[in-house]
Amino acid sequence: MSTTITAPAKTTTPSAPAVTLPKPATVFNNLLRADLITQWRNRRATFLVLLIPAVILISWKGLVPKFGSAFVLANCITVGLNAIGLMGYTNSIARDRDKGVFQRLRITPAPRWTIMVSRLTVQLLMIAIVTTILFIVGYQADHIVMQPSGYALAFCVAIAGGAVYLSLGQVIVGLIHNAETVNVVTRLVYFIFIMVGMFGSLGMLGDAINKVSNWSPYGTVERILANALNNVWTNTTTIALLATIGYTLLFTIIGIRYFRWQSSK
Amino acid sequence: MNTHPVLQVENLDVRYGSFQAVRQVSFEVQPGEIFGLLGPNGAGKTSTLSAIEGLLIPSGGTIHVAGYDSRRQPLYARASMGVQLQSTSFQAELTISEIIRLYAGIHGVTLSKERLAQILDDIRLGDAAGKRFGQLSGGQQQRVSLVIATIHNPTLLLMDEPTTGLDPQSRRQLWERIEAMRDKGHAILLTTHSMEEAESVCDRIAIIDHGQIITIDTPQAIIDDNRGRPEVIRASRRGRITLEDVFIGLTGAAIRS
Repeated sequence: MSTTITAPAKTTTPSAPAVTLPKPATVFNNLLRADLITQWRNRRATFLVLLIPAVILISWKGLVPKFGSAFVLANCITVGLNAIGLMGYTNSIARDRDKGVFQRLRITPAPRWTIMVSRLTVQLLMIAIVTTILFIVGYQADHIVMQPSGYALAFCVAIAGGAVYLSLGQVIVGLIHNAETVNVVTRLVYFIFIMVGMFGSLGMLGDAINKVSNWSPYGTVERILANALNNVWTNTTTIALLATIGYTLLFTIIGIRYFRWQSSK
Repeated sequence: MNTHPVLQVENLDVRYGSFQAVRQVSFEVQPGEIFGLLGPNGAGKTSTLSAIEGLLIPSGGTIHVAGYDSRRQPLYARASMGVQLQSTSFQAELTISEIIRLYAGIHGVTLSKERLAQILDDIRLGDAAGKRFGQLSGGQQQRVSLVIATIHNPTLLLMDEPTTGLDPQSRRQLWERIEAMRDKGHAILLTTHSMEEAESVCDRIAIIDHGQIITIDTPQAIIDDNRGRPEVIRASRRGRITLEDVFIGLTGAAIRS
């Protein structure tokens, strides 16, 4: 099968042989392979992304009888999704932008969407891996067993929920054009999300924070994950899902609108 | 011989907010020609090059690369050119062979293992295939960048200060490679601060200052046309008028930021 697209009519007198464009799928495959290699070579950082929710999951074993398996597992998956979106995706984009990697890619015939979609695909794969590993850790360490349909639904919801944090990461790299500042801000946002989200949802920070937490990007994702794991779908779950989609759309629009391919040093 | 220009820049304007970096710049680069764009720091060279590369959107004018309008058909224009940026950075985690394979793939060029090995041998980096880009010397990095810029056999090659930071041996080798490309019919547009190199290598040059082209011709014609100017004679220090004297005479001796 051909991997190229023949040139359209030129707008002026021809001066050189017609060029052939590589097919977007060919470009995307090459970018994806490079991004997967990059992710694999950064596996130490990947391990740390997984480590935090796994440690929380193991240490919360005592909370399972009180709050329920789904609540504990959903919280830990949400922490993992946070880490992937905020730390993994955002910092890699900020770093490569700062080093000029994107500038180099932009002067090739690669459609710009392929550059970003390739990055996002790798992160979605990470979400799938982290979610699966947390299912296994939950089973092994906390003896959490859900129905197969619950796992399947939660797996799909994790992908959708992960999109919120990827889009939030996009907002951060969109609004902040300096890699070091991005690094600091992502850590701060990650810390706030975990603290307010986890402890807020446990009711340890008072009712007001609990309500804020429940409808924050952390709380809505945690809720649809927990209900998916329990195989329960209520009106509140639907509203939480709609809120999650709303957050994703809002963050995506802002993130793309203000994104710059070049950093400000 | 094909006499249509590979690159046509007409009335190019580039603005950064209220600052106009490039104004009404027009020039052409023919096949088999090395064209030098010279100017002091901040004169508008890199802005002009960035507009041609598609890294910034011009506020006015048109750019055609191999006949493709760079705004209406940006992918075709970019597929027709190879670019060597002033400071090149590739993915830090990838090896040299992975980087070359990636950029070849992006251009729709499939490289066999043998072909890749041959390319690396040609630039005397056969032993460095598994090294990361950051582990190479400046000269080696420059060779890899040139291979990547030309992997798809582009009709136009853009080079932004390609010899900066290179030792004389690497510089000589780079010029030989560039001249070999010209001999094969590629058009080359480059910027450089080295007047000696521009004088000896470029077929034609344009001197740009304050965003405008102030002269455009062969190096010898520019010297001949300006050798009588008092400011050029004042700038002369070697008893004969060189391109550098003309450049200083035309753009002034004051250091630019």
